[in-house]
Amino acid sequence: MTFDAALRLTEILLALAFIQQSLEHLRAPRGEQLLFLVRIALCLAVIAGIGAPWPLLGLALLSLFVLQRFQGPYNGGSDRMGLLALWCVTLAHVLPPGKARELAFGYLGAQLVLSYLIAGWVKLRNPQWRNGQALRQVFAFSTYPVSESLRGWAARPNILLAASWAVILFELFFPLALVSAPTLMAGLALAAAFHFANACLFGLNRFFWTWIAVYPAIIWLQDRLF
Amino acid sequence: MLQLLKLLLPALIPSWNFFDEIAASPRIEYAVLSSPDDVGDWREFRPRPSRVALFAMIGRVFWNARWNETLFVVSCAERLLAEPTAHSQSEIFHRIAREIPDNDAWLRFRISLVGERDGALVREMAFISEARRVP
Repeated sequence: MTFDAALRLTEILLALAFIQQSLEHLRAPRGEQLLFLVRIALCLAVIAGIGAPWPLLGLALLSLFVLQRFQGPYNGGSDRMGLLALWCVTLAHVLPPGKARELAFGYLGAQLVLSYLIAGWVKLRNPQWRNGQALRQVFAFSTYPVSESLRGWAARPNILLAASWAVILFELFFPLALVSAPTLMAGLALAAAFHFANACLFGLNRFFWTWIAVYPAIIWLQDRLF
Repeated sequence: MLQLLKLLLPALIPSWNFFDEIAASPRIEYAVLSSPDDVGDWREFRPRPSRVALFAMIGRVFWNARWNETLFVVSCAERLLAEPTAHSQSEIFHRIAREIPDNDAWLRFRISLVGERDGALVREMAFISEARRVP
């Protein structure tokens, strides 16, 4: 995938993810609604390719107002990845053509790999993840399970131990997927399935859309480096 | 400006340590009061349903406004316990208040932490707000 194609695909997917998130805010109080109406308009301009790179610059500026409004990300890690992607894509448009643009976009791809690698590493270091207790606690008392019936999974230690190691090993070994284009596609498909499961079980739907939006950056980076 | 930079930097230089440890989890309850001195009955804020059908789970991948707002309120509760701010308290208050039909009432909320001690679930009260009139 060429740099221009990957950058364009990332900005379109990111704009779609932002529209999906923004629509969810339209039932909020008026001030909050206004911020997200403006965001939808800017996203539509990005998708249509109108006035580039100004809509992206507008979105980057608007992201500061959104951060100020909620005193941080609205939905934790997923919004942080959205911000990172937005700022990297914007920089990849406005920096001088050449290495600087590639560096900004490559940083986004590298962060995607790190998002799995580091998440796997911190779990591997934690004995509670290694013995399945951490995942049992996620189901037993964390905020995330979307229904009470899912809390019943906390009583299935063997399944959760296997699931814990599946998550740790997948996250830790994800960077190995970079060795070739086919292995990367397989790795990304597995990663998307992982995010989809998290969206269904824990209601973390924003992770699913935001991480998928960044996939073109790693597909381009893999092609550029290997 | 410095404050904005403090909010933006963790996104630009992320740590990615998701779920590194499972901390005690906040539960938010509220009481609708007839006056600031009233005691009222505590109700859980948005209790999770007993079951969610597979079709509904998949639907929430596309539309999950209420759940995402609940997660935001929970993160406000975590922020409030870590470093009390008027913003966190006000966000929790207003998002609960929007669900109360009676606008001639007072509202108080409390946060308890549910965790595990010696293999058993324990619940400890962590914060009780002042009563405020529902706007």
